[in-house]
Amino acid sequence: MRLDRLTRELKVVWAIAVKDMKIYYLRTPSLMFGILFPFSMFLSFVIGRSMIISRAIPVLVAQTVFFASSTIGPVSIPLERRMQTFDRFLSAPVSLLTVLVGKTIAGFLYGIGISLIPVAIGIVFFSSQVTHLVALAIGIALSAFGFAAMGIMFASLPGQGPGEVMMPLNFVRIPLLFVSGVYVPVKDLPSWGQIASAASPLTHTIELIRLGMGGENFFEPALNVIILTFYAMAFLLAGMRFHIMNKKRE
Amino acid sequence: MKDAIVLDGLTKDYGSLTAVDHVSLNIEEGEVFGFLGPNGAGKTTTIRMLVGLTTPSEGSATVAGYDIGDDIVEVKRRVGVVPEASNLYDELSVWDNLLFSSRLYHVPKDERAARIGDLLEIFKLEDRRNTKFGRLSKGLKRRVVIAAALVHQPRIIFMDEPTSGLDVLSALSLRRLIRELRLEDTTVFLTTHYIEEADQLSDRVAIIVEGRIVIVDTPENIKLSIRGAPILEARLSQAPDQLMIRELELGGRVEFNENRIRIEIENLTGTLESLIMLASQRGIQVTDLHTLQPSLEDAFVELTGVSTEVMRVEKENRGR
Repeated sequence: MRLDRLTRELKVVWAIAVKDMKIYYLRTPSLMFGILFPFSMFLSFVIGRSMIISRAIPVLVAQTVFFASSTIGPVSIPLERRMQTFDRFLSAPVSLLTVLVGKTIAGFLYGIGISLIPVAIGIVFFSSQVTHLVALAIGIALSAFGFAAMGIMFASLPGQGPGEVMMPLNFVRIPLLFVSGVYVPVKDLPSWGQIASAASPLTHTIELIRLGMGGENFFEPALNVIILTFYAMAFLLAGMRFHIMNKKRE
Repeated sequence: MKDAIVLDGLTKDYGSLTAVDHVSLNIEEGEVFGFLGPNGAGKTTTIRMLVGLTTPSEGSATVAGYDIGDDIVEVKRRVGVVPEASNLYDELSVWDNLLFSSRLYHVPKDERAARIGDLLEIFKLEDRRNTKFGRLSKGLKRRVVIAAALVHQPRIIFMDEPTSGLDVLSALSLRRLIRELRLEDTTVFLTTHYIEEADQLSDRVAIIVEGRIVIVDTPENIKLSIRGAPILEARLSQAPDQLMIRELELGGRVEFNENRIRIEIENLTGTLESLIMLASQRGIQVTDLHTLQPSLEDAFVELTGVSTEVMRVEKENRGR
């Protein structure tokens, strides 16, 4: 009985994810914040600097998975609230967790797909190597899920109207780039910076991806996985909590 | 007959505003129940509580035998919802929207295509199956939304202003459908601001004003409860003068609109004699004459103090 119910819910998770993929992947905000943003930031970081590009590829991969995964939720949920299509989920016999996981999966797959592009570019054009496939795969997958859940959490904040989600999200995303070992390696940060870096999920994304592509780490891979898993669960639960608060207000 | 929906003191507060105020109702299986009220009376809020879109502040309700507080998933499994907004996905085709709805409601995979095909046939949408929802007319969109609410074959369906904003033919077609649902013993909980629609379709009607139920009864009984006296309606060859109106008012309340006159009858013979005598004194001919019972609209206006024309205009302005 429980297995039947779980199977039914998983099928709905997939149905929601597929629906979101069809509708939101090619929308302008998804392309702008999910693809153009990370690539532009990367180019502004490397152009005019004497830097070995293959060493910077893990940064591009990490930025891409960070921005791409966390963009789909903030595009889909406010729009669905405005068009009242989100009510369809709330009046259907599916749990809120199912709905949010379905939407997270859409962001997750987007993040994975887009982040494989710089991996391929690095391998084909800049002699990057994948030295630890498992670390790279776990780093991208766990990060894609966690950041997709982060996007869902921001999109679920009570009282958020359409167009108001990206601002607070970017207010968090952009500063994280500076404390996560993206522009300055963690080992070169002051002690307070290293503490902040340890708390940032993006740090652990870059660490695993660097490990996967032949770079150095500051933190242990096990810690990277634990922190990313913790954040993924925390973001998902916070998103659920915000939706419940919204329902009480409505 | 078993009750399909039972509301017991259902209440919704938004801060100091009580949108739904201790509403108690019993709706039988297979009944078409009309929920009438002015704009902002609490009709939509009531539906939203019953289908789990919002949480009641007080009170309880059961739908299909399941409590909306403890067993809301079981409730949702058994009801269809037609909201006021045509809230399907513009980017998906008619077929894809219905397919998505069937997945949300756990319709078995091997039954989906057949059910969707049947619904497309019933709603005359076969040639629109691949059209994007956003490209459909308002009337066609409503048909698809109703089809989506029926894909899982619910025994209870909630319809919030189903014909609002539709052209005459589309509205007639939807009303025909509601009658067909009734014939299949589907319970329909219907909110509408079209009094005529509630009168024609509903087995019983509840009128809600400022969150409170004012009356619950059959349309016929509601009409009779307002004014026992029938009305005499006459069409004259020209508009009556003020003196004639004052003379007629001695026999009962008079309303007039150019050359049409309505008199509340206390004494039919006396009123007829007065009318004909006063008209002939002025060289006015009576070109049409008949008696009327009070309409549901008359009852609604008397109970709520809101004219249906005002309600219609407010609704249209809200939709802009």
